[in-house]
Amino acid sequence: METKILTGNEALAWGALRAGVRVVTGYPGTPSTGALERLLTMDLPGRHVEWSTNEKVAFEIAAGAAWAGHRALCTMKMSGVNVAYDSIISIAYSGVNGGLVIYAADDPGVSAGMCEQDSRGFALMSDLPVLEPSSVAETYDLIQVAFDLSERTGTPVFLRSVTALTSSSAPVQVDEPRPPAEREPILERDIARYTKAGAVICMNQHRDVIARLEKAGRIIDQLGLNVLRLAPVTGGLGIIAAGVVGSYLEEALEVAAGHGMDLDALSVLEVKATHPFPTQAVRQLLNHCSSILVLEELEPYLEQNVVIQAQRTGFSGGIVGKLEGPLERIGEYGQDQVLQGLSTALGLSLPLGQGNASINPEKLAAARPITVCAGCPHRGTFLAINQALRKLKLKRDQVMVTGDIGCTILGMNPPFDTVWNEVSMGASIGLAQGYVHAGLKNPVIATIGDSTFFHGGIPGLVNAVQHQVNLTLIIMDNGWTAMTGMQVNPGTADCFQPPFGRRVDIAAIVPALGVDHFFTMDPFDLRESTATVQRALELPGVKVILARQECAIQAIRQGKQAGSVRVVADKCNLCKLCIIATGCPAIDLGEDTIVIDPSLCYGCGLCAAICNRDAIIQEPV
Amino acid sequence: MKYDIYLVGVGGQGVLTIGEIIGDAAIQAGIPANFYPTKGMAQRGGFVKAQLKLGRARVGPQIPERGADLVIGTELSEALKAVRYVRPGGEFLLYGHVWEPTAVMLGKAPYPTREQVLEQVQAAGATARYLDPAQLPTHDGRPVPINLYVLGAAVGQTALGGAGGHEPLLDVESVGRLIAGRWKRGVEANVLAFQAGAAGK
Repeated sequence: METKILTGNEALAWGALRAGVRVVTGYPGTPSTGALERLLTMDLPGRHVEWSTNEKVAFEIAAGAAWAGHRALCTMKMSGVNVAYDSIISIAYSGVNGGLVIYAADDPGVSAGMCEQDSRGFALMSDLPVLEPSSVAETYDLIQVAFDLSERTGTPVFLRSVTALTSSSAPVQVDEPRPPAEREPILERDIARYTKAGAVICMNQHRDVIARLEKAGRIIDQLGLNVLRLAPVTGGLGIIAAGVVGSYLEEALEVAAGHGMDLDALSVLEVKATHPFPTQAVRQLLNHCSSILVLEELEPYLEQNVVIQAQRTGFSGGIVGKLEGPLERIGEYGQDQVLQGLSTALGLSLPLGQGNASINPEKLAAARPITVCAGCPHRGTFLAINQALRKLKLKRDQVMVTGDIGCTILGMNPPFDTVWNEVSMGASIGLAQGYVHAGLKNPVIATIGDSTFFHGGIPGLVNAVQHQVNLTLIIMDNGWTAMTGMQVNPGTADCFQPPFGRRVDIAAIVPALGVDHFFTMDPFDLRESTATVQRALELPGVKVILARQECAIQAIRQGKQAGSVRVVADKCNLCKLCIIATGCPAIDLGEDTIVIDPSLCYGCGLCAAICNRDAIIQEPV
Repeated sequence: MKYDIYLVGVGGQGVLTIGEIIGDAAIQAGIPANFYPTKGMAQRGGFVKAQLKLGRARVGPQIPERGADLVIGTELSEALKAVRYVRPGGEFLLYGHVWEPTAVMLGKAPYPTREQVLEQVQAAGATARYLDPAQLPTHDGRPVPINLYVLGAAVGQTALGGAGGHEPLLDVESVGRLIAGRWKRGVEANVLAFQAGAAGK
């Protein structure tokens, strides 16, 4: 055993190795990315680890391996659960042979954008067990429990974590990884189990999945995963704390004790297996206590069930949580939420850190909208769209430009203000068609990145071709899944593909789908790109532009430079046009001229293209 | 001993590394640590923060408002976003680097003055320790890493390292050794940065 400083994501990865996982799949997404990323940096003979095209594909691969009898893990952010769910519920009905764990990382407090959804809701709907660690170190232990539980019950298991744990690092006691079990793959032909062919089969499977959940509940009780500590005396407060919230109890109780709270009368149930609902433990707590405080982030799933159990056991005390307040369904929980709940439950006035109305320091802070990096090829595409619209005498506020997930959404911000909306992976293409059918007279443009196109964009484009919808799709292909930290995707260059893998070229896919017009453009060539966008907008039918240029961050890491850019001192009059138009972080104001920071500049030359005084010159390197 | 540190700055300054090193040094000294960085969506030039909680075996990752013993800010304007988190009587270490957003550079948006920021820190009841970017030492004609200079000040000039008669959690020697062994390149500049910060130069 060795102590390592690990993030919650890394602890999950090490725990899965200890559990003998054989197949690991996933799609990158904050806050889950670091788990699979860590495994990809290791040499793992006898195991298969991959970034898949999307979460649904990833889950199906993991499920196939688990049907064949091996342990498999599938990692995703909460939004990915939505994508994979069609298969998750179906596999839940069939059950698994090898242990199958879905690692879903939720993001209460929204550190990285997207809906603040509570993935436990999906587990409720598909009758799957959910384990929730309360610390980084516990993640390492619980992922191993999850695999055992899955194999003993034959049901997939959710390991749900949250940003505060996936991103935190702390010391973890780590054991040697165990190799995957040496088993021949199971080949079981059982139509009643592995298909959904008919009502009887489906209803039997529904019965089975519920039975497996009940069995999981019994095993969870035997393992003592949910820790109940009853006070020596009855009639006090009972706290139910789920997952990460349990880690704040100690600190908050210290504060509360200093303000008159009697800790001897306090009972606590720390829930680490939040589904199935820990009925027996909660009933014990209800019988022992006179009031209950439920602490869980996001949705009141536990609290609703506590209310049901209270009704059934004739409990007449108060239940404090979020159904009747004061706690919220929104945001990350911390010490303050625990104190707020304690204050209401005990009628105390405990000091909260938040809500200091006497100061308002944020009001003075300068706004810092995030923009694309210096040298980002998307800058050229946004500029080209804006310039093309101007040349066509179209007003920007009358042309819909739908957006998509990833770095390409940064076109929503100044100085571009090009992109209008962001929904989910691939949605830009469907939304654009809806705007066309709604009767917009002006051209409709959809924008999407390369990985997002592979993930969820292709069906939308197929639909546009089939229904012959007039739109222009711009695929901004920088060769990497960039925003989540530069993962390899199907379109990444061959030399970065996994061993024996190969690149899938968007330039080959799109024409094969039968689009009416297909263009490629170099977003660093602003004049040509503008002309290309303008031409596409003037043509009828489904037009696709592939804007292709590698992510500058990755290109610089490979020692590449797009060019060399310098300022001609006697021509620059500090008009600031280059800064206003490009917003490039490499350009600063100097005394007499603008100054280009050579440590940031990739030499893309877009500032030179914008300058109307020839004061910036781009030369080849 | 429990000691909580809240760090803010701009992506690219190495502010997260400050927290990481303090956390590592604490763990080496047998003090439990939980380090929770938040990068948001920014690759570079965006707001970043981190929360470091030392001294508790069982710990929630977040620091509540008015909960941090020490705030470390490495950019003047972004430091304002941490003022809420310093506890009354705590310390606020501010490196006054100015990283202007484009709108500020173009004269279209305001940017806070040093006095405004220090006033806010004072209103929060904390002791401000201001580090002047003009004092950042150079090595071989190049400025040394900002983050290690600020880290030096955190260990050498605040209660974290025992300044003001507090019981120290970390000491300059052992953190200095950690820094010297952490990167292969630039050891001299790194150690110089840390030592200068620690000495309050």
